[in-house]
Amino acid sequence: MNWDDAAVLRWLEPLVSRKGDIAEVFAERLRETTLEWRDGEVRAVRARREEGTSARWRRGGSESLIFVAGASEASAREAVRGLRESAGTSPIPIRAAKGEAKEEDSPPPETDRWTRRLVALLGRHASKHRVQWRVRQTERRILSPGRPAATATRRLLSLEGTLVAASRAGDEPRAVAFHAPDSDAAPDELRSFIAAAVSPRDRAVPAPSGDTDAILARGTAALLFHEILGHALEADIESSPLSRLSDAHVAVPELEVLDDPRRLDLFGGYERDDEGTAPHAVKLLHAGRVGARLTDRAHAGASGSSGHGRRSGPAQPPRPRGANVVVSPGGATSDELVRRLSNGIWIEELGRGSVDLAGGTFRLEFSRARRVRRGRFSDELGPGILAGEILATLKGIEPVLGRESHACRGMGWCARAGDVVAVQGAAPDVLIRGLAVRPA
Amino acid sequence: MTHDDLREELSRRSPGQWELYRKSAESRERETSLALARESWSREEGWAARWWEAGAPRFAAASSASDLSRALSEAARVDVAPQDPPEWPDRTTDAPEPPPVDAPPDFFETLAREVSSISRGEAQLAGLFLRRGQARERIVNAAGLDVTQSLSAFHGVATTVARRGASAHEVRVPFFAGDGGLDTLARRLADAATLPLSDRPAPMAQGQWLLDPSVGAALLSGIAPLFSTERLPRWVVKARLAATAVRVADDASADAAFDGEGVPTRRVLLVEDGALAGRLYDLSSARQAGRRSTGHGTRPSFRMPPRAAARRIFFEAAAPSPAADLLAGVRRGLFASALTAPARVDLEADRYEIEFTGIAILAGRAQGPVAGARVSGRVSELLRRISGVSADLQFFPMPLPVGSPTLLVERATFS
Repeated sequence: MNWDDAAVLRWLEPLVSRKGDIAEVFAERLRETTLEWRDGEVRAVRARREEGTSARWRRGGSESLIFVAGASEASAREAVRGLRESAGTSPIPIRAAKGEAKEEDSPPPETDRWTRRLVALLGRHASKHRVQWRVRQTERRILSPGRPAATATRRLLSLEGTLVAASRAGDEPRAVAFHAPDSDAAPDELRSFIAAAVSPRDRAVPAPSGDTDAILARGTAALLFHEILGHALEADIESSPLSRLSDAHVAVPELEVLDDPRRLDLFGGYERDDEGTAPHAVKLLHAGRVGARLTDRAHAGASGSSGHGRRSGPAQPPRPRGANVVVSPGGATSDELVRRLSNGIWIEELGRGSVDLAGGTFRLEFSRARRVRRGRFSDELGPGILAGEILATLKGIEPVLGRESHACRGMGWCARAGDVVAVQGAAPDVLIRGLAVRPA
Repeated sequence: MTHDDLREELSRRSPGQWELYRKSAESRERETSLALARESWSREEGWAARWWEAGAPRFAAASSASDLSRALSEAARVDVAPQDPPEWPDRTTDAPEPPPVDAPPDFFETLAREVSSISRGEAQLAGLFLRRGQARERIVNAAGLDVTQSLSAFHGVATTVARRGASAHEVRVPFFAGDGGLDTLARRLADAATLPLSDRPAPMAQGQWLLDPSVGAALLSGIAPLFSTERLPRWVVKARLAATAVRVADDASADAAFDGEGVPTRRVLLVEDGALAGRLYDLSSARQAGRRSTGHGTRPSFRMPPRAAARRIFFEAAAPSPAADLLAGVRRGLFASALTAPARVDLEADRYEIEFTGIAILAGRAQGPVAGARVSGRVSELLRRISGVSADLQFFPMPLPVGSPTLLVERATFS
């Protein structure tokens, strides 16, 4: 985005005449390729290229946002012009767009390379499948008076759909979701993921109904903490069970939970948030005590934004949102945890999660689980719903945590009030007492 | 790069087999809460193309003509399995430019007062989002189609929090602004927020089940894909899909003259006299089924290719009863006033699950609130057990409009 930054900042400056005023221009360039695969063939291809720019002005409890198509300097000018009109400040004169230097077109996502990999991977492990493969690349630029210009680029991969596994009961379709940033490690990780997804399993019996203890394994505890801590500590949330419990002791001291956008190996990572702030890790739970809130510029205290101002796109305003929930590991092996569980369920795949912050409850959907009896794995269980109360669940977490942390690649996109942002997390195996479970 | 340049490029890539879509949209939003008043204005451009190159379908979308041209090249590089192209419609129409969009009105305080008054102070309006928008769509294709139409929408989402003692409950209710008065919306918000605070479980394990229009619409939204699916699930018995009291139709002619592929909109009767009476087709699914498109090529966004789906589906009755008569006819049962979790419908497995809050009913009279109850079972049985359909049809954004009047189900198991 070849902008004259000084000019754009000059247009914004009249809007920040008072302390606490926020004015900024945000632009995004998005490239995306989606392939629909069915049994070894690409059945449909979708290529998407979008550019958009918005200008935002916030003063006290009022905010205005103007969005226009395009990510050129002319788009920025048009957006700021609209903003200054709505703010009642002197308008920027209409001026014919300068002959802007032709911007170098960024290369499209590397579809060919990934297509070849997927042909091999799916052919070897799951020749029957119906999946959607998506590569999304975003480049975001933020300019705001008094702050350094910020640019952030991310390339994200997602595989979602159904793989058919051969089982004793015949072909068994299994829902899968894998989300990861593009990296050298992604192909190997995807290979392991697909192989595990189609591995043999016993015939499932219905999930039980009633109270249960559970181990959230293979990183799935990250989804739980995303729901009950991440959302509860977003700074614009007015009523949650944690709102008035700052620094209160709500869990065992062994439990440390962060939200860390700097983990670029996770799907929700970034180097600059969507307000241009360099993020830092926020302790959501520190030695079992309720930690700090996730803030954007509008909700920041004296210490400033924590770098969690996030947008689903340039047409939406930034809001404080979580990124990557990271739980510190403990020292126990999975076997030790299963013995400690004694009777309950072991879950290593979670689907959707949701939280009712006002009511203080949450629910997590699982597609499969294993029953544990007397410290040993027994039946394979079918889909179910795990539910609980936020504070009781935090109290019910055992002090012994797994010693290996796993990325929860099933987590990818989180929607709140219609705004969808990339999220993920990493966690060790976590044993929780006193949850409710029922078949889905 | 212009519209004509793109037409030429598509003709070169895929002679006789292409479609070009352009959307220019303007919207204004107002978001109000106790802490913030936000106004947004947005002007969006959307371009999309569908074409058959090397015998295979491709789709590209972009926010400008020049970006669409680049996206065409990217999509053309992928090897895609061949597929028959659809039979493209041809027609020419034009529509006037829509007028500029006014900002949505600010009725946060009025609605907040209504909610508080109806709930006797227990519920408080926490947020109100309103969006008013207009769009102009132009669709052209290789067969000579060139249609233009203007669309408009005004909808919102209201968030309410109710508190009683240490308990609290929050609800988000989407609505079409202009459908019903503020008092209807306030009543819906107050009930959905306060009923779950009663702590009373369902007082019966079985009984009749009366569904508020919002609950009926959520259920129909889950069932709607049945009418456009490639292959009907095995459990569907076409002659006995539903009870004779119920009729299902889709008619978006009040919203738009054409679908997302330029096919004229028309009413399609889907269920009548308990039998499956019709299906919804877009151009591709019509070609595969050897039928004609019914005008149901939907484009929820320019970013997605059109696909067969309901556009404005609703329950109706051949002989509707007043909602009060349906209530009077409940000997022992529950009224589902609002959902407490998204409706879950698995059409392949013939299963559904509805979690709701509502009111217990005995001999046609309300007996008291029910904090939460769950009904689950077979979709096939549920449709055949609808014994009463009222005339109070209401539409809800899900996100496309889905409508339902009050429904009475003769038997359900509550847990």
